Formats: sequence, structure tokens, C-alpha cells
Amino acid sequence: MSEAVIDVSDVSISLGGRPVHRGLSLSVARGEVIALIGGSGSGKSVLLREIIGLVKPQSGGIKLFGQSVWDSSAEQMSLLRRRFGVLFQDGALFSSLSVEDNVATPLFEHTELPRVTCRQLARLKLAMVGLPPDAARKRPSELSGGMRKRVALARALALDPELLFLDEPTSGLDPISGRAFDALIRLLADSLGLTVFLVTHDLDTLFSIIDRVIVLSDGRVLGSGTVAELKHIDDPWLREYFAARPTEGETVHGN
Amino acid sequence: MTAARAQYDDTQGALVASGVWRADSIGALPDLAGKAVHVIDGAGVTELDTNGAWLLLAAARPRASDPMPELRSFQPRHLAMLQLVAPHCAVTADKPKPPREGMLELAGRGTLVVWGHFFGLVNFIGHLFLELVVLMAYPGRWRWRELGAQISAVFVGAIPIVAGMLFLLGVVFAYLLGSQAQQYGASIFVVDGLLLAILREVSPVIVAVLVAGRTGAAITAQIGTMKVTEEIDAITTLGLSPLAVLVIPRVIALLLAMPLLVFIGDIAGVLGGMAVTKEQLDISFHMFTDRMVDVLDLKTLLVGVCKAPVFAIFIALIACRMGLSVTRDSRSVGANTTSTVVQSLVAIIILNAIFAVMFVRLGI
Repeated sequence: MSEAVIDVSDVSISLGGRPVHRGLSLSVARGEVIALIGGSGSGKSVLLREIIGLVKPQSGGIKLFGQSVWDSSAEQMSLLRRRFGVLFQDGALFSSLSVEDNVATPLFEHTELPRVTCRQLARLKLAMVGLPPDAARKRPSELSGGMRKRVALARALALDPELLFLDEPTSGLDPISGRAFDALIRLLADSLGLTVFLVTHDLDTLFSIIDRVIVLSDGRVLGSGTVAELKHIDDPWLREYFAARPTEGETVHGN
Repeated sequence: MTAARAQYDDTQGALVASGVWRADSIGALPDLAGKAVHVIDGAGVTELDTNGAWLLLAAARPRASDPMPELRSFQPRHLAMLQLVAPHCAVTADKPKPPREGMLELAGRGTLVVWGHFFGLVNFIGHLFLELVVLMAYPGRWRWRELGAQISAVFVGAIPIVAGMLFLLGVVFAYLLGSQAQQYGASIFVVDGLLLAILREVSPVIVAVLVAGRTGAAITAQIGTMKVTEEIDAITTLGLSPLAVLVIPRVIALLLAMPLLVFIGDIAGVLGGMAVTKEQLDISFHMFTDRMVDVLDLKTLLVGVCKAPVFAIFIALIACRMGLSVTRDSRSVGANTTSTVVQSLVAIIILNAIFAVMFVRLGI
């Protein structure tokens, strides 16, 4: 565990008069695959948006790669943004561009490579996330939900970021596509040395690919650790959360 | 940050790479002018990501059929990166060419679009009539609340802009007519000309243009967004008809609102004219109204107001149809909204010309 890639310290924010975060702190080390869980309305998405610089917290500090997100100049922020990729919940693909151009957009904007080469690199990314070559020329609206997620992942990976944010990567996917997507994320994280920070509701994701889980509750971090460690925390929401899935060797109803 | 470099070593047929091989540190690929690369030497490479790995491999073997060069003295993690990328090189090697369209293809496509609009509108009118028949049979299915909301949006919200525009147009017309008529001492005839122009042509056409831009665009954007977010599908699955719920209230609201808006426009235009004639030509309000009572036919007013419902139906039909024909992406919401305004304006101009010819032939 070397330097902290994400460092959130004492962040507070109220939205619409309701406190969402009350002195929330967490940190993520390089190479970790982290899941953020919490009940609906516990501020997971808000936290994600604060970390990637879309929502400004009212107090507290957020650092990525040791650099403050909210006290940097626009130029520094632009350099910082190249070092992380974001997969939004519904993909957020540009519907007016082809799949290939969607993935190539970060390359068009941030590199000096010729456009043809950018498109070839986009195809590489599409192949790496397991999409067939004929998908490249299609429009996002012609693809299935699972394929759209893969395209969005390819776009998030376009500039080879060191850090990847995923907002509910497996929501809206069937269990088989969901597991395949999980496996893909883990494979890419391991082979590219990525740090992955994902927000999820999906228990299967937690059990399969996550190094460490951070639980958000009541505007603070309730606990963090492996799934096994979290089961020892005495919290009604967490108990119910894990009870929703039978683990190996246990039965839900008991005999 | 040292930029990526690659030099060709003739003696061993080796490509010697060094520096940072990342997408944003590479300007252009080294040109090897067709020389075969048997070895890639990566001893000097300090950083390598998937983009860099692909570019390095692409430089060494421009065609997918070329043999894979030997990878020499790379750091283990760089080697792993190259091996991760290498299997995908065959897929990405061919340079994608954007398809080009010829004139003929463009013309053909354009014709199909125009034909599609025409056919679609006729088809849509048919469906709407069927729906109206059903609604006649089951009066309980009328959406009164939606109709009320639409009238408020289409009519009440449009009053200020309609009144304001027509008042100013009345001012302009009266001013221009007045400056001409004054030279012949025929000032009082400004009233005749103004009434004819505003009531018969200006008010109906300008109100229709305003409604097409304001309400027509809003209808398409709203229904189109509902289509994108699957709200239309939800309405259908609840056993309701999108035509009855969304389209018919809007058509009827526009049908009722447009003649009223034209009438309001008439009043505002005449008031604008009155204000100018008083200042410029010394025609008092009293003289103006006296002259108006003398020369104004009810016919002139009715001709203008009668055009309104026809314009209204076309605007509403075009807007609703374009809204419902949005496909599931945000681009088509924009394209269809534009199309609504263009189609509505064309329809208004054509209809107005037909009316003009028709009224002359009928001697109205």
C-alpha cells in the first residue's frame, strides 16, 4: 500500500437543506479495487461527483494523486482529468457520434495523433472490452445495454487512465452480462495496474472482484474492509444487506 | 517527460524505442519506409501504456500479415502490456475509412425524407381520426385536465408575446402608411389600410409563425423527450393511447387558442396603429374609431380569424407527429424539433397563399 490515490478528508455537504455528508473521510491506495456501498440516498453518487469534480463540497478537502480537486487551476485540473476515467451509470455516450468516435473523442481532444490513428486506438479499446469489430461503426442507440456499458468503459479507458470511476457498472445488465462485466473490470484492473473505485448495489460484484468495501451510512463512513470483515460490523442496514444473499454453505431460511 | 522516440537500426533490422510511450507523448509514428522490423528493443522505454504499445507494434508491423517481431529487453510489465495488446492488432490494423456519399445518394435520401414526411403525416391523420371516433364513442376518455393545462400553456402563456409583437407591427405599418398618405392629404385612409393589413394578413400569419416557433417546437421537444425516456411506451402499456393522452389535447388546445390569439393580435395591432396615427397624423382616438366603424367589414375580421384554426391544425399535427417519430437518442430530438418549425413555416406560407387565391376567386 503506497501513496493514496484518492484522499477524501472531512467532507461535508448539504443538498436541499438535508445534510448528505457529515465529516466524511476515506482514502484509497494505488492498485486497489474499491466498492462503495450504502442505502439509497446515503450519498454515494454525490460522493463520486464530488471526487471527480462535478459537485463542490461545502467543507473538507478532496485530493486525487495528492493534488487538490477543488483548489487547482483549470489547467492543472485538465491534466488531472486525463489521469482518471469515469463510467457513468447510463453510459452517457454521445448519441450523435458513432461508437468508434465516442471512444476516440478523448484521444482527439488530448493527443496530437492523427484522427485515423485515434480511431484505430479506439478500435483497440473496443476489442479490449470484448466488443465485435462491426460494432465500431454503429450508433450507441443501435446497441444493447450491456454493449453500451462496454463502449462507455472503452471510452473511460481511452487515455489509459491510472484511476477508473464506475457508477453502478452492472445495473441494468442481466446476471450473466453483469458477471462478465465484473470479470472484465478485474482483468483490466490487474493487467493495466488500474485503481478502481466503483459505486454498486450488486452483491455479486462485491463477492467476486472487490479488494475492499467502504460502507457509507448517515453521511459518514460506517466501516471499510473485506466482505468477511464487514459482516462483523453490527449495523441493522448492513445485516439486512448481506442477508439478501445466501453465502456458500448457508441457507436463507434454515431447516 | 521525455517524448517517445524510435530509431531504426539497420544492422539488426531492429526498432529501438525509448522514452515515454503514451498517447499524449507521441506526436507522429516513425516512418520506416517499408523496412522490415525483426526486433523491437525496449531497453530505453520508461513508460508504456496500451496506446503506446499499440502504436509501437503498429509502427513495427504496418500490415497485419507481417510477422510479429521479437520483443527484446523490455521491462516485464511493459512486455505484459505488449502481449495484452498484440492479439487485437489484426482487428485494428486496417485503417477505417469514413463512408462518402455521392450527389445521387444525397438526392435520393432527401427525396425519401420528404416523401416520408408526407406519407407519415397522412398516416398520422388517419390514426388520429380513428382515435377521435373512439373518443366520441367513449366520452369518458377525454382528457379534460390535460386539455386545460395545454390551453393554459398554449394560449395564456402566448398572450404577452403575441400582443407585444402585433402592437409593434401595428406601429410600423401605421407609421409607413402615414408617411406616404400624409403627402396626399389622405391621412384618414391610413385607418382603412391598417385595418385591412393587420386583420386580414399580418395578425393571422405572424401569430401562426409565433405559435409554430413557440408551441410547435415545445410540443415536439416534449413528446420527443418522453419517447426517449420511454414514457410513451409506459403510457401504451398502461392501456392508454398516446394519441388520446398527448396528441388530441394538444391539437384541440391549439385549435381553440389560435383564433383567440389572432383576435388578441388584431386588437393589439390596431392599438399600435392608433398610437402612431395620433402622434404622427393628429387623428384622435375618437376619429380613428369613427372611421373604423365606417369602413370595417365584419368579413375582414372573420377572414383573418378563420385562417387561424387551419394553421393551428397543421402546426399541431406536424409537431405531434415529429415528436412521436423521435428515435431513442438526443440528436433526433433536436433534429425533429428543427424539422417541426421548418415544416410548420412552409405549411403556413403555402396555406396562406391558397387562402389568398381562394378568397379572391370567391370574391370575399
